[in-house]
Amino acid sequence: MGNEAIARGALEAGICFAAAYPGTPSTEIMEALASVAKDAGIYVEWSTNEKVAFEAAYAAAMSYVKSLTTMKHVGVNVAADILMSSAYAGVNAGFVIVSADDPGQHSSQNEQDNRWYGMHAHIPVVEPSSPRDAYKLIKAAYMLSEKYKHPVLFRSTTRISHTRQPVIFEQDIPVEKKCKGRFDRDIERWVLVPAHGRKQKKRMMEVWRKVAEDEGVEPFIRIINPGMKKAIIASGIAYSHVMEALELLGKKDEYTVVKVSLPVPLPYKPILRVLKEAQEVLVVEELDPVLEMQIKKIAYDNGVTTKICGKDIVPINGELDLDSVARSILSFEGREPIMPWKPLEPLKLEPPIPARPPVMCAGCPHRNTYYIVKTAANKAGLKDPIFTGDIGCYTLGYEPPFYTQMTSLEMGGSIGVAHGLSKVVDEPVIAVIGDSTFYHAGLPPSINIVYNKGHAVVLVLDNQYTAMTGHQPHPGTGLTAMGEPAVRVPIEKLLETMGYKTYVINPMNVKESINIVAEALKKYKDGEQVAIVSRMKCALQAVRKARKEGIRLPVYHIVEDKCTGCMVCVKLLACPAIVVPKGAKKPKILTELCVGCGLCAQVCPFNAIEIFKEGSPNWLEAWK
Amino acid sequence: MARYNILVTGVGGQGLLTLGRVVGNAAILAGIDATIAETHGLSQRGGSLIVQIRLGEGESPLIPRGAADLVIGMEVLETARRIIYANPNTRVAMNKFLWPPPLVDYPDLEQVIGKIKETGVKLYMIDANRISEDVVGSVISANMVMLGFAYAVDEGLKRLFDKKHFLQAIEKVFKGKAVELNKKAFEAGYEEGLKQT
Repeated sequence: MGNEAIARGALEAGICFAAAYPGTPSTEIMEALASVAKDAGIYVEWSTNEKVAFEAAYAAAMSYVKSLTTMKHVGVNVAADILMSSAYAGVNAGFVIVSADDPGQHSSQNEQDNRWYGMHAHIPVVEPSSPRDAYKLIKAAYMLSEKYKHPVLFRSTTRISHTRQPVIFEQDIPVEKKCKGRFDRDIERWVLVPAHGRKQKKRMMEVWRKVAEDEGVEPFIRIINPGMKKAIIASGIAYSHVMEALELLGKKDEYTVVKVSLPVPLPYKPILRVLKEAQEVLVVEELDPVLEMQIKKIAYDNGVTTKICGKDIVPINGELDLDSVARSILSFEGREPIMPWKPLEPLKLEPPIPARPPVMCAGCPHRNTYYIVKTAANKAGLKDPIFTGDIGCYTLGYEPPFYTQMTSLEMGGSIGVAHGLSKVVDEPVIAVIGDSTFYHAGLPPSINIVYNKGHAVVLVLDNQYTAMTGHQPHPGTGLTAMGEPAVRVPIEKLLETMGYKTYVINPMNVKESINIVAEALKKYKDGEQVAIVSRMKCALQAVRKARKEGIRLPVYHIVEDKCTGCMVCVKLLACPAIVVPKGAKKPKILTELCVGCGLCAQVCPFNAIEIFKEGSPNWLEAWK
Repeated sequence: MARYNILVTGVGGQGLLTLGRVVGNAAILAGIDATIAETHGLSQRGGSLIVQIRLGEGESPLIPRGAADLVIGMEVLETARRIIYANPNTRVAMNKFLWPPPLVDYPDLEQVIGKIKETGVKLYMIDANRISEDVVGSVISANMVMLGFAYAVDEGLKRLFDKKHFLQAIEKVFKGKAVELNKKAFEAGYEEGLKQT
């Protein structure tokens, strides 16, 4: 996998320190490093958020220890403050920030192009075109960082991070690594008061100028088939699409292709050469015209009038693929896009194939909590609550039948937005946030509600892992990234200390939880500051533990004679293990998918859902 | 030479990524270059999912619509949804399992099968869930049943791989007792496939 290739390359480059917060599509880089940390003799941590991870890794590089921090594209927003400052102060050892962008938004709230961050912060950006290329280029990124004593941003994308490809290793991981640092008390450099900052800026801009001047060489710029009248300049995965598209269209010999692996700042010398030789140039890049704008500037500054096309032809939204790139090339040539492949038409079915957005898994504790909170709100007479939401699997609560996520903007946003809403609207407000997200960005806004006399319930869904990205441990798990036992920081104690009356429920006990939450919501109605922590392990982890330890989980079924076909279980829970067979009047449990959480049995008004296969006597252990 | 394109489609949680990893390891063993594009994160949670396997030299990891040589469908509605990746010469190996998403109406199994057949693709079907339950006791190895089945019915895969490549790849991807169970599942799918060719 591309992410594993990046991890391996960083190890070969000699890093001894790595810190990150998980986020798709970046997560597996740090997971791969964590899995070999002890053998490789390096330190790896899951930090509480991207800013904290950045600071930790940056401190290592300040102190002569090569380091790595990785994050998803929007994670860089969280770390942007220290990112900007790191470019002013520079580093004493190689320091690379991997930003894994998500064109096409496979698992993100936006598809921002983080090459802009390089431009914005004056940090060079290295961009690979395949997993194999990532493996080589991450090492080049460390060389660049060491050479200029400057941070380097390594921009991957989903189709690089999450593509598997055979990679042949070029070298071993160095046995001797510099892991012990030393801190230079270089006040002028590390204390960015205005007078120092002005001085550091000059250093930074000199680095910037030199990189653009001197680095227009392999592996950062590669020119294939030079001297043609038509040229394509491409970076990232787009380059891979271009090469295959030209091959398929039989046009390989007609084009000069420039592979740009250093899109920011774009080294102008080789680009200018190509602009002068070619009559027409097409710039192919995913998302924003970062290359195109720089290329057009190079042309303008040097009086070159070559025709340059880019985002007037190549799609600006979503990810590129072989098809869209081949179409772009034909369109650039003024031809009809006739493709070598003839797709079948979509099937005409009645009713049509339903959309299948992601759903909460069978046994997901969030389903229990949402059912409980909505029932308890009714019971407490809390009318039309607004549920602000956050980033995690529980975001799926936006779907029917729950509607318990009415916003989802950024990490920690549920609580900050809830506070503001509580100041300006009349409805009750419930902020719903996951455990990892709470540690990440939930603390300042929770304090803010109490301090500024806002009035919103803070509901933390604690499944004990950073579940969505693959169950990384966090400060509530009791484990570190390297598998060592760790202190648990109890969320309820944090909230109590802030001044919330805090209730803890186990949502597997549905009736008891409804009563507790209803009591909490009544207190909220009476004007108290209230928080609720709903704690139940992620079902995927419970199933995993059961399988590992030979625990049999109970399995439920619907007793046909008792079922009246009221569909309460179907309509209130939307569990993927409960289906209505085509044409049937009564639902059915797919027993092979049931993990025995028992929620449906507790919800059925006719007690028609019963245990079909008993679990092991200790089955509850799996959920602990 | 054009690359060999395999589109794996199904529902998040059905083992599509694992199937891709087994093919990837088999490719390394067979000395074939490959890219396998996966989808992770939220889309893995019971949503519509595809894995794109491209065999042969090249770096672009995404299969153009209409360019799939083989479609391996772990679920009926998802196979129907992704038929646009196929062309009339494509082989489609499909698990005869229709798993409707919650709270919505959906077309019935016979209608979907009929429409897929109308397109002219070569459709092969197997009840991989049942076979997995028979062989390993749960549906967890339906993905390996499907891979064995696809290998038996697809000329393209047979040209590129020996059966041992897949069995050795299973040894690399799985651990402990899962190795033997998944080999059995693969073999069971393969046997069923041979009956249909």
